[in-house]
Amino acid sequence: MSTAPTNEEYINLNETIETSRDFYNPNVLINLGPSHPAMHGTLRVMCRVNGETIEQSKCEIGYLHRGIEKLGEEKTYHQWIVYTDRLNYCSALNNNIAYVMAVEKIMGITVTERCMWIRVMCMELARIIDHVICVAINALDMGAMTVFWLFYHWREEAYTMIESMCGMRLTTSYARIGGMSYDLPENLIPRLKKFVEEFPKAIDEIEGLLTSNRIWIDRTKNVGKLSSEEALAFGLSGPCLRASGVDFDLRRDRPYYVYPELDFDVVVASGGDVYDRYLLRMEEMRQSVRILKQCAERMPGGPLWVDDRRVRIPEKIDVYTKMEVLIHHFKIFMEGIDVPPGEAYSCVEGPNGELGFYVVSRGGPKAWRMRIKSPSFMLFQSFEKSILGEKIPDAVSILGSVNIIAGELDR
Amino acid sequence: MEAWQESQQKANLYLQDNFAIGSSQVVRRFELDKVQEPVLWAKDPQDALELVKKFQSAPELQINFLSDLTAYDNADKKEGAGGRFVVVIQLLSTLTKVRLRIKTMLTEGQPMLSLTSVWPAANWLEREVFDMFGITFEGHPDLRRILMDERFHGFPLRKEYPYKQREPFSDNVKINLDSKDAHS
Repeated sequence: MSTAPTNEEYINLNETIETSRDFYNPNVLINLGPSHPAMHGTLRVMCRVNGETIEQSKCEIGYLHRGIEKLGEEKTYHQWIVYTDRLNYCSALNNNIAYVMAVEKIMGITVTERCMWIRVMCMELARIIDHVICVAINALDMGAMTVFWLFYHWREEAYTMIESMCGMRLTTSYARIGGMSYDLPENLIPRLKKFVEEFPKAIDEIEGLLTSNRIWIDRTKNVGKLSSEEALAFGLSGPCLRASGVDFDLRRDRPYYVYPELDFDVVVASGGDVYDRYLLRMEEMRQSVRILKQCAERMPGGPLWVDDRRVRIPEKIDVYTKMEVLIHHFKIFMEGIDVPPGEAYSCVEGPNGELGFYVVSRGGPKAWRMRIKSPSFMLFQSFEKSILGEKIPDAVSILGSVNIIAGELDR
Repeated sequence: MEAWQESQQKANLYLQDNFAIGSSQVVRRFELDKVQEPVLWAKDPQDALELVKKFQSAPELQINFLSDLTAYDNADKKEGAGGRFVVVIQLLSTLTKVRLRIKTMLTEGQPMLSLTSVWPAANWLEREVFDMFGITFEGHPDLRRILMDERFHGFPLRKEYPYKQREPFSDNVKINLDSKDAHS
């Protein structure tokens, strides 16, 4: 091997070849995405790399823009429920409920006790699914296939439960203004009890695979760090904000529905890196299981629907047999619900952070302005900054840890 | 009553005392919305920025988080005849758990002041407002379209923009083939 060129000679040699000059160029531009399995959905980041270090980056979004906010001004309040499924499609239940909550606030409707408990149960189940997806895919991106197989079994279990509730797995459209489209099936509570018994074992198993795994720690610790000041300045919310050490959770600090009665802890980490976000999500799943346990035990009986003629969708059997009810049914679906003028901003603690709906009503069945405050939008904005100085494979692990859902990002 | 409701009520009282009509130079109107959250109408964009800075230091509020920044069309003049767009700033405090909203009315073409100097989070939110409504922001570092294509004209969330309008892009590549049925 004595004839091999020295490094310097090699560089000089290559400088003469046009095609390989880029290798030594500190100004190489590369595109991460938009069509790449590691760029979840259709995200595109343009980077200037020096070697493998990202020195500049710009995100380009809008590939999944479907004009959902404009559709909100064209469809009736009831028709728009299905569009909320297509925001964060990993936790559609959360979006359904957050949206109907906003409309109910404008109409001054308080849903029944049973409806509240069902909604809280749905939101926690959706949170578990979302966190499972985030952790499993994040590990998969870094090569840990087993975690993905083990975790996705439980995601399927949760989806099967959701399917038994509303007939859909992914695009649920479960919530209705003033109630829910179906009552719980009889076998759901026993099934849920079995789920909350067995799922924590899976969490322990995954933790055994990852938490003290050398490869996992090397890939995640001190990667994509955000301080609490930065997190607040970038408007992050949810797990990423709490991983950076800000103790804020809407479920505890501005509670809705039955959360004040429930016993759960808000999980806070301090590192703000990928590893802490992972740990935080694992612990949050345990807290969600705690909430689900209480839901299974304390699920009250009583009416599901609010007793309000403006929004109450009549029972199908009455629609087929009674003239007045048929007309009422027709009016709700063809004309829509008449929402009084006014406005409200309503938000829930979604799996990724503060998911808000700002609805401006001028009266009538359609909204004047339907604004979706999506957590992913703020998270992806900070992503542009947090990958600076990191390597390209680290960008992939950071992206997995902030869990950006393109449907919610682009709306 | 829970702690967050108490601090929200305290904040509402503070805002009412200091910014209700007559007692303030910068607020045009003070109201509570359907869920008893305060809405302050700033007189102009300059005042909106001033209010934000004031709320950051007020001990009753301690606003430290930009929840959302958006706008809506006032084409029907229901919010008053003085302007075309309403810019809405949703603010939140993670310390006092207070939520409030600042609104400003803009005429068509009138620029809003950018909040990027206060919160970098405002960057993309303002770009989206520009993209959807055509409202410009003074002092914004990189104001260009974000969700729509850069070749796109028009502002989709304005009320006069048709719901199903399609906009073919100008630089579609022309095909010049020799066959007789080719496009030119």
